[in-house]
Amino acid sequence: MFNLDYSWLADPVYQGWLIRGTLTTIELAFASSAIAFVIGLFGALALTLRIAWLDAVIELFVEVFRNTPPLLQMLFFYFTLSTVGLRMTDPATGVSVPLLSAFACALISLSLFGGALCIEAFRSGLDSLPRAVTEAARSLGYSRWQRFRRIEAPIASRICLPALTNIMTNQFKTTSQASVITVPELMYYAGQIYNDTFRTAEVMILVLFIYVSLVSLLSWGMVRIERMLAFPGYGKGA
Amino acid sequence: MKTSILTIASSLLLALGLSAASADTLADVKSKGTLTIGVKNDYPPYGFLNDKGEIVGFEVDLGKYVAKELLGPDGKVELVPVVAANRIEFLNSGRIDIILATLGVTAERGKVIDFSEYYVSAPGPSILAPKAATFAKWEDLKGQTLCGIQGSYFNKHLTEAFGINLTNFKTQPEAYRALKDNRCVGFAFDDMTLRKKTEEADWADYKIAIDPYEYIPQAAGIRKDDVAFRDAVNKAILKAEAEGKLIEWETTYGMPHAKYIAERAEAAKAKLKP
Repeated sequence: MFNLDYSWLADPVYQGWLIRGTLTTIELAFASSAIAFVIGLFGALALTLRIAWLDAVIELFVEVFRNTPPLLQMLFFYFTLSTVGLRMTDPATGVSVPLLSAFACALISLSLFGGALCIEAFRSGLDSLPRAVTEAARSLGYSRWQRFRRIEAPIASRICLPALTNIMTNQFKTTSQASVITVPELMYYAGQIYNDTFRTAEVMILVLFIYVSLVSLLSWGMVRIERMLAFPGYGKGA
Repeated sequence: MKTSILTIASSLLLALGLSAASADTLADVKSKGTLTIGVKNDYPPYGFLNDKGEIVGFEVDLGKYVAKELLGPDGKVELVPVVAANRIEFLNSGRIDIILATLGVTAERGKVIDFSEYYVSAPGPSILAPKAATFAKWEDLKGQTLCGIQGSYFNKHLTEAFGINLTNFKTQPEAYRALKDNRCVGFAFDDMTLRKKTEEADWADYKIAIDPYEYIPQAAGIRKDDVAFRDAVNKAILKAEAEGKLIEWETTYGMPHAKYIAERAEAAKAKLKP
């Protein structure tokens, strides 16, 4: 019934494209997730300090980057920032070129988008800490930083691990939008291949399979981490 | 390639079935008094809709000229819009008498239809770049970053044969913008489109830095072994060339004057001299 033709996969050019595209996708997803994680951690920590102006800044950041489509952010960084003067002079040719490459724009946009979601995830983790725990730590003489490092962060990060897994898988899939600003990731090359070969269904099925494999691997790894970090009374540590 | 194989297979069957019935298109057309032509209606300057919704264009004018030659001054023309995917089927099933729709001459198509004289040599991609650009040959672009459009048929060739590092956008406005931003040293795209761009005031500082590396001959499509009809069409095309009609239509439709068409006009003139 399905008359699938994968003969184009024998072409070394297409093989190279698919491999390079997959690697770029992985690179972008992991780098942006790592930065998002750090942004989330420090943002949530800053929120616990209860400094009014800092809270306002963080809230604004979260609202702006969580509530705008990553695609729009990428286009903004890619086309607008270079127009308003974020440029440098290429030392080799002396021509004024945009400072941020396509990959950098995609990385920044995905990191900020993911970071905004991570702040919320960590905050929910911190909020769900039993008050008794922080009060016990305080009565034992822990300083603010010690309390965060030794009590709050370890418990909160375990609580919000499932939410982080969600954010990371989302991050992985959102990388596909970077093809619009010419980041040569998986979807970028897939489009060129089916335009050349007219084997749209075959290319789509293969790309689907690659995404499913990568994201499954990621969530499997996250579940392992969840198990490893589990301790009695919370989540998977029954 | 599944569709094209299907197309070829079905048109082969149709051609076999119809060959006995309508091998003599010339006689048929003369008895009908109408030439039914498959044309594009979305591909300026060859065939497109004007403000009044009429199909006009370089190949449409050529078709009307051929009809007059075949049928005399009272000859009528029926224009049937076709697309690349159905034009050969339309011809071989008898829906149209002739294809005049940006039909590139390829060996694969030559198996199922015949071609007329090659009246146009359609350019492939060229490079639009700032006037200061120093490259002049495709080979100079090895390792350079060029803007392009996602899905263009020549992208693979540019990467493979010339080692060009292509940055491909979804749409043309984005690519033009990126070129102005110096995100790439040039824009690799359809030559005719880029040449029109250089005429715009905003693009006065830009030039066609490298000419197309290939030209694809364009011809009329005619049913296989329809000898009398093909000869008549060829005679009409030669006459149009000798009279300088194709050069006239280039002017009418704002096309750059191609050397190929000028040379063919000279050759046709020499040929038709008594």
